[in-house]
Amino acid sequence: MLTKRFDPLKGEMLQIMDAEGKIVAPELKPELSDEQVLKLYKVMLLTRAADTKALQLQRQGRMLTYAPNTGQEAAQVGSAAALRETDWLVPAFRELGAWLVKGVTLDHIYLYWYGNEWGSHFPEHVRMLPISIPIGSQLNHALGIAVASKLKGEDVVTVGYVGDGGTSIGDFSEALNFAGVFDAPVVFFVQNNQYAISVKRTIQTKAATLAQKAVAAGIPGIQVDGNDLFAVYAATKEAVDRARAGQGPTLIEAYTYRLGAHTTSDDPTKYREDDEVAVWHGRDPIKRTKLYLIAQGLWSEEQDKAQIAEYEAYALEVFRKVEEETGEPKVEDLFKYTYKEMPEHLVEQYEEYVQYLEGKVK
Amino acid sequence: MALMNLVTAVNHTLDYEMGRDQRVVVFGEDVGVEGGVFRATVGLQKKYGPERCFDTPLAEGAIVGMAVGMAVNGLRPVAEIQFSGFMYPAYNQIISHVARMRNRTRGRLHLPLVIRMPHGGGIKALEHHSESLETILGHIPGLKIVVPSTPYDAKGLLLSAIRDDDPVIFLEPSKIYRAFRQEVPEGEYTIPIGKAKVAREGSAVTVVTWGAYVHETLKAAEQLAEEGIEAEVIDLRTISPIDRETVVESVKKTGRFVVVHEAMKTYGPGAELIALVNEKAFLYLEAPPTRLTGFDITIPLPRGEHHYFLDAGRIAAGIRKVVNF
Amino acid sequence: MLEFKFADIGEGIHEGVILRWLVEVGQEVKEGDSLFLVETDKVNAEIPSPAHGRIAAILAQEGETIHVGQVVVHIDTGDGSEAEGQATATTAVSEGEEDAGAVVGALESSSKVLAPSGEAQTRPAAEPQKGKVLATPVARKLARDLGVDITAVKGTGPQGRVMKEDIYRAAGERSQTPLALGSSAPEAPVVSQPAAAGSAAAQPAAVPPAEQQPAPVPMGSSDVRVPLTALGKTIARNMAQSKREIPHAAVMDDADVSELVAYRSQVKSMAEAQGVKLTYLPFIVKAVTLALREYPKLNASFDEAGQAVVLKGEYNIGIAVDTPDGLLVPVVKGADKLGIIPLAQRMNELIDAARARTVALEDLQQGTFTITNYGAVGVGSGIPVIRPPEAAILGIGAIRKQPVVREDDTIVIRHLMPLTVSFDHRFVDGATAGRFLAKVKEYLQNPTLLVLS
Repeated sequence: MLTKRFDPLKGEMLQIMDAEGKIVAPELKPELSDEQVLKLYKVMLLTRAADTKALQLQRQGRMLTYAPNTGQEAAQVGSAAALRETDWLVPAFRELGAWLVKGVTLDHIYLYWYGNEWGSHFPEHVRMLPISIPIGSQLNHALGIAVASKLKGEDVVTVGYVGDGGTSIGDFSEALNFAGVFDAPVVFFVQNNQYAISVKRTIQTKAATLAQKAVAAGIPGIQVDGNDLFAVYAATKEAVDRARAGQGPTLIEAYTYRLGAHTTSDDPTKYREDDEVAVWHGRDPIKRTKLYLIAQGLWSEEQDKAQIAEYEAYALEVFRKVEEETGEPKVEDLFKYTYKEMPEHLVEQYEEYVQYLEGKVK
Repeated sequence: MALMNLVTAVNHTLDYEMGRDQRVVVFGEDVGVEGGVFRATVGLQKKYGPERCFDTPLAEGAIVGMAVGMAVNGLRPVAEIQFSGFMYPAYNQIISHVARMRNRTRGRLHLPLVIRMPHGGGIKALEHHSESLETILGHIPGLKIVVPSTPYDAKGLLLSAIRDDDPVIFLEPSKIYRAFRQEVPEGEYTIPIGKAKVAREGSAVTVVTWGAYVHETLKAAEQLAEEGIEAEVIDLRTISPIDRETVVESVKKTGRFVVVHEAMKTYGPGAELIALVNEKAFLYLEAPPTRLTGFDITIPLPRGEHHYFLDAGRIAAGIRKVVNF
Repeated sequence: MLEFKFADIGEGIHEGVILRWLVEVGQEVKEGDSLFLVETDKVNAEIPSPAHGRIAAILAQEGETIHVGQVVVHIDTGDGSEAEGQATATTAVSEGEEDAGAVVGALESSSKVLAPSGEAQTRPAAEPQKGKVLATPVARKLARDLGVDITAVKGTGPQGRVMKEDIYRAAGERSQTPLALGSSAPEAPVVSQPAAAGSAAAQPAAVPPAEQQPAPVPMGSSDVRVPLTALGKTIARNMAQSKREIPHAAVMDDADVSELVAYRSQVKSMAEAQGVKLTYLPFIVKAVTLALREYPKLNASFDEAGQAVVLKGEYNIGIAVDTPDGLLVPVVKGADKLGIIPLAQRMNELIDAARARTVALEDLQQGTFTITNYGAVGVGSGIPVIRPPEAAILGIGAIRKQPVVREDDTIVIRHLMPLTVSFDHRFVDGATAGRFLAKVKEYLQNPTLLVLS
């Protein structure tokens, strides 16, 4: 059991593939075919391409505030890869790679960040909650889904994501605590990217790791190298299997780094050193996976360049469709989803407003 | 005297009062090192040290709960909630303890604390960054709620808030944090809490508003003036307690009343002001008192928010209807 | 040609400084390639190209300050369109050293300056408002509906509040005034005639033309001064206006109504069986409407401004009614469409309502012709005053038995009813008025014909 072998209280962190793409713990390497690994790598590339384009579009004034995922692609893709289609994913707001694995397409994602609620209206078969702005609050939703699954006897597991900042809020401890008590089939996945906007991880808690917060809840916890695709996948797979087997929740801390800003309106140079960032660039999750694939003879630099270009063009095309077709909200939509049926006073407000728009009455 | 925008005025005020009163401490998320996501607390940690200006972990309930304890034990805490929508986790602490401690102990204990937060919308932000909290805060006995609309007022009101022996919630309209500057005296002055201001005199209709909408409403009033309608615009400034006298005397003069606010319509602050006008100036009314508000919907995401928030044109249209009743 | 404008990159900035161009004119760029490095008060940012193309022109230099919305580079995308010329920079100015922060959303950042507060200077307390009318909203609505200026109404309620009754009273006075006689005594002799009515009633806010101040009347020591009521003032005004503006002329004749007298006593029980009191008035009204059909100029208005005569399409006959407070003229609308008994019924309703002061405003308006019956007080003849904007008025005197000389020189005693038609001589001549009167007389002298028509 990985959680037994790697005890966060002893400072033991799971790593399978190092920063240069070398497998350092071959016996722990998860069972993934070459095709599967290549596929996951491509999702990481798409994640970064989508981010790159979104940032550029934001600088052109066409995309609004956007939260980049740069540096966290392995944590996101590797964890979601351990889920079945019937499992639930409960996001915070910075898990683009995970959403893409789960089956949400870039259309929805860009539509959301473009500023339109339809971006959170996922297809029926995609079991994912919308982005949650009140930090950490979503973990109790993940708990609830899991408890219901258990009650219904369904073979379904839920993964709830949160950042290092979110581990301080009451919802976090409450969720872990309840999950432990109810043996809920839920995995709490913490993307520790070292920063909550400008506040360093070390100010978030006196605990040496976030994974050890599991101890207080009486559940297993593990800290993994969040930039190691294999470690993330392996730890999450084990936790998901445990939950599926009725053995209750797990807390996973993916130790990673937010290479970009908190959002496009944040300037990280104000609160962190360039040296620190440079160190983490060296640990880039995409870089190491590429090196691994090339070493395996499964990939090449040329293919990499071509693939990135293809994804960037795709992302741009998706955005153009959003900007030109689906982005503008319909006035009726703003009103009619407040309740199942619009109550009379709301109908009146809507109709008065439409009249105003049509007549452009003064 | 210096030209300051609203957020600089807040920053200056905190600096001013921290220098004057050792008991004042300032804290919240990203407040210390970064100086606040809107830079309202920039420079304070450097000047007064991390004991008096510091970052907290991410937990609004704990932020406010901690302020309660500090206030009981002799400090004058000024806690920051980063965005209006993040007040909700702290709501339990606010209702259950901040608002009640004096009554519960029959005055043996009281809480001279301030909770500051950016307030209101129209800044093209995500969910929970555009909330209007007047109703759910104003409804609670024991709290004072203040909303400045200019840099000059921001300093005057914030000083009053910090020096008040009752808890004050200081709502800073983020839309106008940097939209303009104004001369702000760098010395001592305060503006009393509970006193509204007549921002524009007029005789045709009384229009009460606050926060960012004061400026849109003044624009609307200018449009209407060209049509011969002179609106009297009142900047309420204090949501709780309401300056009843200023509002009522104005309605007695004009005979017509409109309240303009960002919050949703039903059970919104407008309903309270209309009830006031009905109670105190009924016989002077020549038209039904009216409210111009947001719709009863969740505030839309940025692409749709312009439908929700009123502009000068829509405000003018609403006032015109009342004048032509 | 793509004119690339420097965008607000969401940090609330309004301007930046170009640190370095990363492309040059003539260079091919791909969408996403960085064009230049800009320094804002918050951050240095590389600005990417929005399109593929060739750099056609660079419009701002390194070290230059650019504003949001300003075109900084032209990119030839090969789509053949021409550049429209340099867009003017926005007038917004940046914060300078100020650091925008924010994290989410886009704050407007500007150095626009508000006027100073001026709060420190004390203002004199606002004057308490005088002359404000106290009235409930329902009273105000009533005033509006009745066309009453509420500020002119004296309130009799608590603290001088204007009550509904005050408004009704004002409405009643006002609607009477255009039609009233000079005297407001209860048993008013009807010598003077109803004055200008229809128009004044239709225009509640009619204001009398401004006049020079007349010379004051000298008062002797035994003289008594009786101030005019509001009603009295209106009557005086309207009388003067009618006589001043309309050149009156009149034709007169007596109608031999002996047959009508007999006919009426015969048939009045039939009417009573239907609960209707039958006077001579319905017969007169019918005779008048039949005659007006043939002589439409008597049922018209003179349009001075348009220099035309408006022939009315409706036959709305006003009946002057003597009430305790003065003369009211309710109007039978569409009198031509009613038979004798229905006419009688409608008129009785209106007359009773007028006397009880419950007649509705709309029943006092839109008359096209008026009938006044001074015969009711026993007087033989008179010269009625036309009610503007009507063209004529029929005055009816008391029916008296008179000797009449027949063709064969025999003398018989007959019932004679004196009739006078006053008419607007601007557009109605004596011949037309005379023929009209003759026609009325014809019907009154032949009740069977009248009833059959």
